[in-house]
Amino acid sequence: MRRLPIGARAALAAAAMTATVGLLASWLVLAALAETQRDRLAELVRLHVDGLSIALGPAVQRRDVWEVYDTLDRAAAAGAGRLALTVVADDGGRVLAASDPRRAPTDSLLSALAEGARPIDAMGDPGATARLRVLARLSHQGRRVGDILTELDVADLLAERRRVTLALLVGNAAATAALTLAGYLVVRRALRPLDALAQRMGGTEGAPTPITPDEIPRGGAEIARLFRTYNGMVAAIAAKADAERRLAERERFVSLGRLASSLAHEINNPLGGLLAAADTLQAYPDRPEVVRRSAGLIERGLSRLRDVAQAALDQHRFADDAAPMTPDDVEDLRLLIGPETIRLGQRLDWEIDVDPAALARWPATRLRQIALNLLLNASAAAGRGGLVGMALETEPDGLRLAVRDDGPGLDAAALVRLTSAEPPPPGGGLGLRLVRELALGLGGRVDVAREDGRTTIALTFPHQRVEAAA
Amino acid sequence: MMPKHPNRREIIFGAAVAAVATRSRAASTIRLGLTPVFLDHDAEVITALRDALSTGVGGPIELVQRRTYQEVTGLLLEGGVDAAWLCGYPFLQHEASLSLLGAPVWRGRPLYRSYLIAAADDPAQELADLAGGAHAFSDPDSNSGWLVTASDLARMGLRPDAFFGRTLFAWGHRNVVRAVASGLTRSGSVDGYVWEALAASEPTLTAKTRVVARSEWLGFPPFVARRDRGADPDLSAFRAALLGLHASAAGRAALALLHLDRVSPGRRADFDGIAGRMADVAGLR
Repeated sequence: MRRLPIGARAALAAAAMTATVGLLASWLVLAALAETQRDRLAELVRLHVDGLSIALGPAVQRRDVWEVYDTLDRAAAAGAGRLALTVVADDGGRVLAASDPRRAPTDSLLSALAEGARPIDAMGDPGATARLRVLARLSHQGRRVGDILTELDVADLLAERRRVTLALLVGNAAATAALTLAGYLVVRRALRPLDALAQRMGGTEGAPTPITPDEIPRGGAEIARLFRTYNGMVAAIAAKADAERRLAERERFVSLGRLASSLAHEINNPLGGLLAAADTLQAYPDRPEVVRRSAGLIERGLSRLRDVAQAALDQHRFADDAAPMTPDDVEDLRLLIGPETIRLGQRLDWEIDVDPAALARWPATRLRQIALNLLLNASAAAGRGGLVGMALETEPDGLRLAVRDDGPGLDAAALVRLTSAEPPPPGGGLGLRLVRELALGLGGRVDVAREDGRTTIALTFPHQRVEAAA
Repeated sequence: MMPKHPNRREIIFGAAVAAVATRSRAASTIRLGLTPVFLDHDAEVITALRDALSTGVGGPIELVQRRTYQEVTGLLLEGGVDAAWLCGYPFLQHEASLSLLGAPVWRGRPLYRSYLIAAADDPAQELADLAGGAHAFSDPDSNSGWLVTASDLARMGLRPDAFFGRTLFAWGHRNVVRAVASGLTRSGSVDGYVWEALAASEPTLTAKTRVVARSEWLGFPPFVARRDRGADPDLSAFRAALLGLHASAAGRAALALLHLDRVSPGRRADFDGIAGRMADVAGLR
């Protein structure tokens, strides 16, 4: 039952209810019919017996066989076919005459025929048998002079009951079938919005899509409320995914921004002295000691700048690389890229086959930055409904990180940024160049492959780098 | 049905009484007593007979029906009716007081027979085979419906109520046929003329019965009147109307319904057979 769709279940419930009500009503009708038939029969027998008592009283008292038979025969001819047999016996229980003398010969015992016979007031149910026997007193002048046994042919009443039963059965079956169908159609119609809702919820790779306003039914208040609530949830999910995506973008540039601001600060400090030395040079170009002193100043300032840059880079590197890469970081990557792929309806292949101990040899921040940059690029390249995949595995010669997508492939500018030391062409993002710098910084190698419409960027980090980092 | 070969004297006599009848006029209503010797259930027969006789006598005829021969005979003897269609048996019982007006002619002769009948599937071949069973008589004063069987038994030294297990009177020949056909009684004594007439009008009823034995030919139930009113002109007119029934269309129609040819003057000698049977049962009564 539980496996059946709700429409079928509702229809079956309606059918069961209709059938139950129909059976109950049928039972009541048949009971009333039986009661009516019993009353009718009792009335008929009472009239029959009363009439015969009046007509036959004197003849029975005289034991006038012919008179009794003649009356019964004429009564039988006049009466309807209901009275199958009437037997009149004297007060000694011997048959005087019967409407059918062959069945009840004169002088035979009435008791032989009276088996199963009942008084009028205790008449049996016509539904039980096609023949009913009723035994009544035959009185004359207030005295019992004999008995009248009446056999009633109730076959027609039974037939009537069968007809009524059949009609009720057919009628109930038709009503049940009609109501079942109607119930099924009504419930199916009522559930149609829920079908639409289910399709919207799981239609595109698990990403729920909102229901347009003209699809929201005007009539069903509950359904409309449900749809509006659903749309609210979809909007909330989209907002959350957007926030997560923005968070990922921020993480992507956070180190770059931090580096840039600290560099700007350190560069700005000696910059005043350097500008002053340049002014002095321009003012006193013909005074060799001033020129020497200023040049020395400039040299020290620039050295200072170099030191600052180096120190900033070193400090940044050390601070960020302090933490080793863990499986949680890998999972973070998945969480960070997840919202973007869901937003674009992309498939995300995630193949991680690496020992946590081996993974811990590599700095978390740089590896995360490299991987996140590549994943965001891949997602952007793959476009709506595309494929994005990442594989991280330990190989004999080191750790291999491969990110792939089914986008159009890297253009020439992107290839330059990622694979060569040439200055990047104007425009475009810094992500791929940063990846290259970070990878080279870790002693890694960058390979780009295009195969079967898929682009794979593979980075291999050799083991010796681990010893150096350690 | 007309007689096949009426002799010249009969034709002349019939024409003469018809002429007398048409000329005479009955002074008052003539009352005719009837019993179930007729097909008593058929009102059409009664009406046709009354109308034909009324036309014949030129005055009103009242048909007085009684259930038993005894009642009709009593009525006739005490003057309650002017004439009666009686059985030959009561006629002979009261022969001293009654005179013959006419005898119906059935199948060419003023004679009929008594039938001993049983159910169609009854194996009985003769009266003796019916011993111990219930038997239906028509009337204790009926020749064919009692006297014939009773006298047959008397000739064997038996009484009906001893020979049969039970006897009853059904008060009418048709009722005897009903009693036997329904199985109320095993056998019955019935007027052969009535049985044959029923075989034509109600074949399904007689088909349930079978004639076990037929008596010799006996005098047909006659029309009789009181002997002391022999000179009464009304009765003369009535007799003339009876004997001339076959001469008028209405009369022939009534006779056809009765399955009779005509009414003859009748002869006392035709009732000798009944008289003989009366003598046989005299010791029983």
